[in-house]
Amino acid sequence: MNQLREITVIQTTCILISTIIGVGVLPLPLFGVKAADTGAPLVTFLAIMIAFLGLWVITKLGIRFPNQSIIQYSETIIGKWPARICNFLVIAFFLLLTGLGAREFGEVVVTAVLRETPIEVTVIVMLLMAAIPARNDINIFSYIHVFFLPVILSPGLIIVALSLKNANVLYLQPLWGHDHKVMILGILTIAALFQGTFIITILIPYMRRPKKAMKASLWAIGIAGTFYLLIVIAAVSVFGPEEIKQLLWPTLELARTTSWGRVLQRLDVIFLVVWVTAVFTTLYSSYLFMAFSISQFFHLRDHKMLSYFLLPLVFVIAMYPKNSLKMYEVIVLVGTFGLILTIIYPCVLLVMAILRKQEGHRTIENG
Amino acid sequence: MDVVFITYDRSEKYLKSNFFKKNKNKNKQDQEITPDQMMKKNNRSKLTGKLDETIQIIKSLLGENDDFVIRHFHIFGHYSAAMVYLSHIVDHEVVNRDILKPLMNVPNHLVNKMINLTQLEDVLLNETLSHSKTHIENDIGKLISALLHGKTVIVIEKLDKAFHIDTHKVEKRAVTQPETEQVILGPREGYIESIVTNLALLRNRLPTADLKVKTMTIGRLTKTKVAICYLKGIANESLIKEVEKRLSQIDIDVLLDVGYLEQFIEDNHYSPFPQIQTTERPDKTVASLAEGRVAIIADGSPFALIAPVVFHQFYQTTEDYSSRFLMGSFMRMARVLALVFSLFFPGIYVSMISFNPELIPTEFAVAVAGGRAGVPYPAVVEVLLMEVSMEVLREATVRLPRQVGGALSIVGVLVIGQAAVEAGFASPITVVFIALTTIGSFATPAYTAAFALRILRFLIIILAGIFGLYGVVVGVIFIFNHMLSLKSFGVPFMSPMSPGNLQGIKDTGVRAPLWWMYKRPSFLHPTNEVRLGTSPKPFQKAQSVPSVEGNQLTQEEKNEPTP
Repeated sequence: MNQLREITVIQTTCILISTIIGVGVLPLPLFGVKAADTGAPLVTFLAIMIAFLGLWVITKLGIRFPNQSIIQYSETIIGKWPARICNFLVIAFFLLLTGLGAREFGEVVVTAVLRETPIEVTVIVMLLMAAIPARNDINIFSYIHVFFLPVILSPGLIIVALSLKNANVLYLQPLWGHDHKVMILGILTIAALFQGTFIITILIPYMRRPKKAMKASLWAIGIAGTFYLLIVIAAVSVFGPEEIKQLLWPTLELARTTSWGRVLQRLDVIFLVVWVTAVFTTLYSSYLFMAFSISQFFHLRDHKMLSYFLLPLVFVIAMYPKNSLKMYEVIVLVGTFGLILTIIYPCVLLVMAILRKQEGHRTIENG
Repeated sequence: MDVVFITYDRSEKYLKSNFFKKNKNKNKQDQEITPDQMMKKNNRSKLTGKLDETIQIIKSLLGENDDFVIRHFHIFGHYSAAMVYLSHIVDHEVVNRDILKPLMNVPNHLVNKMINLTQLEDVLLNETLSHSKTHIENDIGKLISALLHGKTVIVIEKLDKAFHIDTHKVEKRAVTQPETEQVILGPREGYIESIVTNLALLRNRLPTADLKVKTMTIGRLTKTKVAICYLKGIANESLIKEVEKRLSQIDIDVLLDVGYLEQFIEDNHYSPFPQIQTTERPDKTVASLAEGRVAIIADGSPFALIAPVVFHQFYQTTEDYSSRFLMGSFMRMARVLALVFSLFFPGIYVSMISFNPELIPTEFAVAVAGGRAGVPYPAVVEVLLMEVSMEVLREATVRLPRQVGGALSIVGVLVIGQAAVEAGFASPITVVFIALTTIGSFATPAYTAAFALRILRFLIIILAGIFGLYGVVVGVIFIFNHMLSLKSFGVPFMSPMSPGNLQGIKDTGVRAPLWWMYKRPSFLHPTNEVRLGTSPKPFQKAQSVPSVEGNQLTQEEKNEPTP
């Protein structure tokens, strides 16, 4: 490592939280309600558990190999070529994730705020916003995440708090929901929203104390999970499951219905523009992950140049779905299959590493 | 032989940026950096002991000047000698009283004693010349440079060494109130152009052996004296080394102000944000030194550079610390608000008018629409027009002679603003917003930082004109990303906010009581962190004088803090 290990546990936690909370929050209650009607909070909770399982596995792996990222240690565990194929798939998956994330938010902006702006413009602005800082190193990456975290959490919490006065507890009962057939799919869809946590695999080699990574993972999934759960509970209890099924972005509608006296009457616009920050941090994480992984995949010295080269590629992917409904089909599909890469693949790696008793070199911990 | 080329090696070190390297090397082929042409010819020659020859060389170099004076005389009536100086920059009284007089008259205890040539040097230095800054030199090049620095040179026949005595005297202005950083409560003295006075101001405030002043000369023609000041045992050693390294790599012909230095040693040359603070105040410099920073002072400049610097310093003043903490915090928050005004107000205004009128309360929206009824342009163009004319006005006010300036600003703001509204160029509400913005930008204490915000404001207005509030937020994210990635001498620009530091946050938006801030800012990595003594508070209730029961009045009086 030509860079100092400077990332603290708090910084890791902040990075994970702001990476998890992204544009997926907008359709989140819809995913939950589609799966189990009034059981949406339960579905969300189970999804959080699955996401935590995935995060636990990659954190364990990271602690086991504290000097390497997943791209590097996978080659030690399952051999050079099998690992390369899997890693290629992981990188390709994040390419899709970044593109679709940018597209999703572009779609929201064009629908809700800038109705006459071509979607290409908003998407390219979002991608540029991620690509330019993606040239920075991991330390600055962590500074940016920590700085923006309050901006990400506060509007959501404010909206949840303000909407509770319209809440109806009956909408949340029965807790188990009615229809359990599609529940598994819904859980997987929501769990897929947490896939940004994969960023921790490249963070651990830069952490001051890699052993404490698990603490960061726990806190991050706790805070981000609570946030998701609150949003789902608020949305379902305000609108009720049947109403939510009619809405594309229930969270946005939630913001629209909340008002704060006569002072702020239309919160949705403010909510949306502040939400740009949340989307930016998520895109930034997945963009940096891509650039970083590719540079390690090809054993490049740094990832700076890659950042701009990837831009056209991501843009083409973002523009591929024809409309927002098609886009959501793709997102659900990609997200669910992505779980194979982000949860099952690390599980396999961990099991193999334990069976073959492989461990990374000890770190010299500083600080 | 005569021409000293800057070698490729040196230029590479000196120009860190690859961008310029190509151009610079091309230039190097046909022309070298401005030389000191006169000096080169006699660079290495030593004194030979022949008075006429030496005088001839000096004369050939400086003889054309009107103020060049050679005075032949005899030391103790015996040895023929010559005194050389440049009459405009020496103090004649010192020359006559402290040099010429003792040299011509034999001291009482030496009367009738024979002094031979070998003793002469010793006698002159130790018993005759009663001036503290007397030196012996045998290199002609150095003698010439001494002459040019206002020293008086005495060359003696048959002696292969010469004396030079500091008789420098130059007019300088008095220490006055700093113009750019005024405070209500606080010291009134500011730096002047003389480095000697400035260092004296610093030493007066820091009578400690730990204050180190390292000097170097930068500028091939100006030979400007540059001083690096720091507190040993507080400032981080590697920081001092880094500052010295960056300064020593500067090779330029003229250095007129510390601003030249700033541009060479800053980390990011393309950022709108200053990464080094300039200050006119000795008290501010001392405060920074005590926190573990390094100050750079250059001769001829009434400013000191302070590095490293973080963003929060640009809206802080020394007054925040000297006034009580509630007052200091309040003023600081007002300044942050002004900063936000000056950066975002026009952008938010534009996006509200053109994109999100639903955010404006209904009653007010009617007034806005009424005001804008006659304005032919979109809000962006209107605001940009007003902003540009405001910048022109501001620049004109700075350049104009003081007597005219006051009149112009009144004419500019009142008459032009009024006329613009009446003529239908701008709506009255736009004028209000622009006025607020401009006033807000004046409240930022650091001129250089205010300038950065002035530039970025235009970026935000344009983004707001294209994307509305979304554009404003995009602009804000871009700006913060840039600020978070900036570094000043290795210190992240936004610390202690991010990377976070609990101790440091006490001195950002608010100014915590002094006894809460018992440590030096850790982002500067000071060698010694502790600022306060063991007692956490300067005065506690328990220490008050025990009161006499039943005597309420005296008790209140006695509760007054005692030292």
